[in-house]
Amino acid sequence: MKTKFLLPQKYKKIGWIFLIPAAVLGLFTIFTNFEPEFLKLPMLTIFSDGAIMSNEESTYFSVIRTNVANEIAGILFLLSAMVVAFSEAKSEDEFIAKIRMESLVWSTYIHFGILLFGMLFLFDLEFFTFMIFNMFTLLVVFIIKFNLSLYKSKRL
Amino acid sequence: MKNNLKVERAIKNLTQEDLAKLIGVSRQTINAMEKNKYVPSTVLSLKIGKVFGKSVEDVFFLEETD
Repeated sequence: MKTKFLLPQKYKKIGWIFLIPAAVLGLFTIFTNFEPEFLKLPMLTIFSDGAIMSNEESTYFSVIRTNVANEIAGILFLLSAMVVAFSEAKSEDEFIAKIRMESLVWSTYIHFGILLFGMLFLFDLEFFTFMIFNMFTLLVVFIIKFNLSLYKSKRL
Repeated sequence: MKNNLKVERAIKNLTQEDLAKLIGVSRQTINAMEKNKYVPSTVLSLKIGKVFGKSVEDVFFLEETD
């Protein structure tokens, strides 16, 4: 079936190969504050509010030195999760398209449901930490839900 | 909507997999249709009719609730 906005099926495997190490690296950087010195690099920033972290003044479009370990993990995870989520199934057809659509709607509810919950019951730095994880829930929940639905439909 | 896919398949001696290959869909789709869990598109219905050499109305039927 011709599909819109989906990647060819062969990319799915590549996505998984990167997704697993990205997830491990991501969790590792968050829980152990993994920031090796060689990853402290000058980075272009659109806005830097120096006031919170240091005594520097806030600047626009400047270069700051920052550790990019979490950026690498985040970008790697985001890209590979997108590839896994949005590459075609083995035998893509209209029924699978329907399952995909329903899973996407379902995951959107769950994602923003969790966000609502966090807004209500988490504050300050705890909310910030929660948001780091919440950035990825839509994709993660979708991947799980879609594959579970596919699996179920196989053994109906 | 109801259908007699299973019966027609039996007459032609086709497995779900065979029929799926003939019309270019996954086996899940045939399975879901037979379990009345999925209503196929017009294109798919016409393809199925063609495989069985019957008109769409001979394979798919409206129900009271439709």
